Amino acid sequence: MSNLSELEANIPALRRYAWALLRNWSDADDLVQDCLVRALGRIDARISPGNMRAWLFTIMHNLYVSRWRRMKTRNEVMVEDADADLATPASQAAHIEMREALRGLAMLPEEQRQVLLLTTVERLEYSEVADILGIPVGTVMSRLSRARDRLRDFMEGRERPVLRRVK
Amino acid sequence: MTVDERPIRDDDLHAFVDGLLDSERQKEVRGYLAQHPEAAARVSAWQKDGETLRQALEWQLKKAVPATLNITRLIEGRDIHHRAFLRMAASIAIALMVGTGTGWMMRGPSIPSGISALSLEATAAHRVFATGPRHSTTFDVVDPAQLASWTQQELGRAVTPPDLTGAGYHLVGARLAATEHGPACMFFYSSDRGPRITLFVRPMEGRDMNAPMRAIRMPEAIGYAWARQGLGVSLISTDPMPSLHSLSNRVRDEMDSTT
Repeated sequence: MSNLSELEANIPALRRYAWALLRNWSDADDLVQDCLVRALGRIDARISPGNMRAWLFTIMHNLYVSRWRRMKTRNEVMVEDADADLATPASQAAHIEMREALRGLAMLPEEQRQVLLLTTVERLEYSEVADILGIPVGTVMSRLSRARDRLRDFMEGRERPVLRRVK
Repeated sequence: MTVDERPIRDDDLHAFVDGLLDSERQKEVRGYLAQHPEAAARVSAWQKDGETLRQALEWQLKKAVPATLNITRLIEGRDIHHRAFLRMAASIAIALMVGTGTGWMMRGPSIPSGISALSLEATAAHRVFATGPRHSTTFDVVDPAQLASWTQQELGRAVTPPDLTGAGYHLVGARLAATEHGPACMFFYSSDRGPRITLFVRPMEGRDMNAPMRAIRMPEAIGYAWARQGLGVSLISTDPMPSLHSLSNRVRDEMDSTT
């Protein structure tokens, strides 16, 4: 696969991760576009072929930290209701579970959410996640543990603090 | 279990869930889980929740990628913007030389016009005057009456930069810029956090006298540009800002209501 087609193949995953962080398509796509422009500027200078996926996630994470997070903490980002976009699956019960999982995800502290997404959804290895986030592997593991236990508590009804009424 | 087996820790349980263990270690974890129902319940919940989460986010992978993220388009856009920017930088340099009496100029059919030209000029001027060490302004103390007579004199019409304090931006200065299409007035806004943003206005010349808001996406800066009743307006930021679009709408609406 050429560099560019490999880059292209990663766009859906980048969008998914960006959306899960920002919960808003227009901001997520702006972030991904930023990431792609940055990546295109450096793709020829990439010395080792390595894992492009992890490389792209690193670029996006750095952009997110340096430019986007402060906007988000200032609440300038409008959060879309996940339900609006959630494709209705076969069974109603499964639909409710998925909706709850997205709620549980949104409830996690951001640092735990990132680790959970990169490992469990993006299927990256722990060392790659550590590189992307710029933290030691031990920290990845402890955040992952907290994230999974907390999501479990939420899903099993032990922690549902601010349940928003669904229309 | 034998005594010299490595103890099973949380890390192993996670790696088990994520399929990152070799088959030997996997077997050991399975044995451990068979004897520890609490750990087994925890692991199976992690697996189940992980699967649910993947399903819940699956639709995003299938969502059509918008044209703005098309790689070919991004590459072309980058090249075009770079070339256009160089052209713009050259024409600004020429305009400055004309101003200082060197007295030569160049016009070509390839030079952009209308809103495209406005966007390029606004971006170029923002880069030169709003970022970097220069920060050069003509007015630091902002007096609306003074700005009105200044814009009247420079642009042939009074322009009032909108009050954006409600959005956390304060007007910190203004200056004149030279463009291919005549003088432009720049207004600099600053907030407690984040870099300056520039409001750039100049009269339009013939094309795009009224134009809807258009996004400007360049590697160096982003922004929005539009035109109303012959006045071209652009709001530019060096950094991506989720709020820039709504801020631009606000600027447009406020400027509409004052003209």
